[in-house]
Amino acid sequence: MADKILKKADLGKLIESVTGKGGRFVAPTTDSRQIVFKKVKSAEEIATDYILARNSFKEFLFPQTEVVAEFTLGKDTVDMRGVEVHAPQTVIFGARPCEAASLKGMHALFTWDFIDEFYTKREDNTVVVTVGCTKADDACFCTTVNLSPASTEGADVYLREAGESYTVEAITDKGKKFVEAHAAVFGSGSVKADPLVMPEKIANIDLAKVSERLKDKTHYDDKVWPKLTRKCIGCGACTFVCPTCRCFDIVDEGTAFEGERRKNWDSCQYDTFTLHASGHNPREHQHQRWRNRFMCKFNFFPEKFSGKGCVGCGRCVRVCPVRLDITEVMEEFSK
Amino acid sequence: MEKTLRLKAKELLESGEVKVVIGYGWNRSKTRTTPVFITDPADVDTLVWNPLCVNNLSLYLTRKYKEIKALGRPAIVAKGCDIRNIVVLITEGQFKREDVFIIGMTCNGTVYKQDLWKGELTPNIMPTKCHNCDVRNPHVTDFVVGEKSTFTPPEVPTGMVYDKVKDLDSKSQSERWAFWVKEFSRCVKCYACRQVCPLCYCERCITEKNMPQWIETSAHPRGNLSWNLTRAMHLVGRCTFCGECERSCPVNIPLNLINQKMIGVVKEAFDFKSGYDEKTHPPMIVFSPDDKENFIK
Ligand code: SF4
Ligand code: SF4
Ligand code: SF4
Ligand code: SF4
Ligand code: SF4
Repeated sequence: MADKILKKADLGKLIESVTGKGGRFVAPTTDSRQIVFKKVKSAEEIATDYILARNSFKEFLFPQTEVVAEFTLGKDTVDMRGVEVHAPQTVIFGARPCEAASLKGMHALFTWDFIDEFYTKREDNTVVVTVGCTKADDACFCTTVNLSPASTEGADVYLREAGESYTVEAITDKGKKFVEAHAAVFGSGSVKADPLVMPEKIANIDLAKVSERLKDKTHYDDKVWPKLTRKCIGCGACTFVCPTCRCFDIVDEGTAFEGERRKNWDSCQYDTFTLHASGHNPREHQHQRWRNRFMCKFNFFPEKFSGKGCVGCGRCVRVCPVRLDITEVMEEFSK
Repeated sequence: MEKTLRLKAKELLESGEVKVVIGYGWNRSKTRTTPVFITDPADVDTLVWNPLCVNNLSLYLTRKYKEIKALGRPAIVAKGCDIRNIVVLITEGQFKREDVFIIGMTCNGTVYKQDLWKGELTPNIMPTKCHNCDVRNPHVTDFVVGEKSTFTPPEVPTGMVYDKVKDLDSKSQSERWAFWVKEFSRCVKCYACRQVCPLCYCERCITEKNMPQWIETSAHPRGNLSWNLTRAMHLVGRCTFCGECERSCPVNIPLNLINQKMIGVVKEAFDFKSGYDEKTHPPMIVFSPDDKENFIK
């Protein structure tokens, strides 16, 4: 039976087809000596030989900084005005199966007790096209958190490398519509998909045990926290590249009489994250902040939203200047 | 060298002369080094020494690390370039020379970033600082590990960073401005550069002062530029070119260019290079009647 395929040579046509209708096409590309997700205009810009982009694609749904309102101060008045959500039609191409699995949790958070339209409107207009991995490195651990290069969770369209083509599988309705809308670009044929590479499951990690141990709050003052994480320098880089981290801060910026209200990424790794105006800081030490990150991934978040707190992409491990490896902590908590 | 290092660490811990040894160890898969804090003499075999030991551990001696301070007197495994930062910290009154036991490692260079390591240290994967290093034999120490290095740095400093600085200097002001605006536009305001810098030890960084807000925290071009320029200015005459900020920047902003440019300016104006002598105060914190002061016009 002939399958739906996308010839790699036709990627340019797909980009044109998307951008021609006014959409933006986001893909991994080389920028300043590394692979990052960026808006691209041509197929030549797209990186083909990569494991994972340094950034997650979350910034196209949840930008690092965005204006959510504008204000003008009068003598006795405050004039607050909402702004239009900027939500262009977007295709995220070449995401990996691990990071796509972060979307369920993102959605749950941004629709929790308040519908954050700045997120949902963008999400509605975004199609996520993943490509199964044919390469991995020693930071990848999707298989340890019950995902794999074959998972389609969160993807609208799932591709697999197949020599000069990709096999195409539309997963969601949105994905089906996308393939239909650009039907001229997709072809059919019978091709054999290249083998996926499966990162080895880390033997000593038992996720159920990790969450079990975290549930019992007596671990809070466990000496193991400072022991394993005192080297953390609190730079927050891990949270910025993490596809499931979604904390933000609201700031007002401007001149004395007018300005904008912005929603900016924040990180629980900063000491100012929990610093009270009184000067008291309930998470005074870095290991307590790190404990929070770990708890968020494997306890609070999965409990509250049943989404995955960590998808095993390994970005935090790669980016960490002191090589603090989250899987080494998972191992400790599997004991 | 590892054997000597471990023996010394053991001796120091056993005698109680120090309570913690700050050094390097392996990650689980032994592909990367990571900082370790050894408090038990039985654990000294965790310590390793190799060209992947890139981190400047002097960071952990600063006042931000109260928990590490609480462990007691530290010994630190340090390369010559790391010792330069320890020296700056001492000259700035952060602690006294005798508060730390310095285990100086003679050094033949490290990799620029650990991911570049393919099993062999070749010149092309070494940072510019190593090619011009005059402290391969560590200069301020309590104990030295390793054979004496015979390396002499080139008369005129060479390497990528110097070339690029020269190249930028030859450009017009507007071209330079455009270059930096473009580079800084990628900044994600994670502050990794500050967190990893041993000399950014302020407990409340100016970016976190919001009454008034000196620096906009948003990662837009204006906020990014004011952040990066402010940090640069705060390191003039202090930065040792250890390169940790550039190594840690997740978006690869070439911070070493700024660092080296400032070092050149200070060298020219004051004939001073930071981090060599713990008894000389850096030019920015001393008043001298001989100062030219020709910047006041
Ligand atoms: S915690 Fe680390 S490995 Fe897990 S999803 Fe976030 S960046 Fe990826
Ligand atoms: S609390 Fe921390 S770990 Fe959790 S989402 Fe926020 S930044 Fe990420
Ligand atoms: S990247 Fe590493 S050092 Fe930085 S906050 Fe995360 S764990 Fe800590
Ligand atoms: S600058 Fe010198 S001491 Fe530092 S890592 Fe390079 S060669 Fe070693
Ligand atoms: S480390 Fe890089 S991205 Fe982060 S604040 Fe510094 S310059 Fe910006």
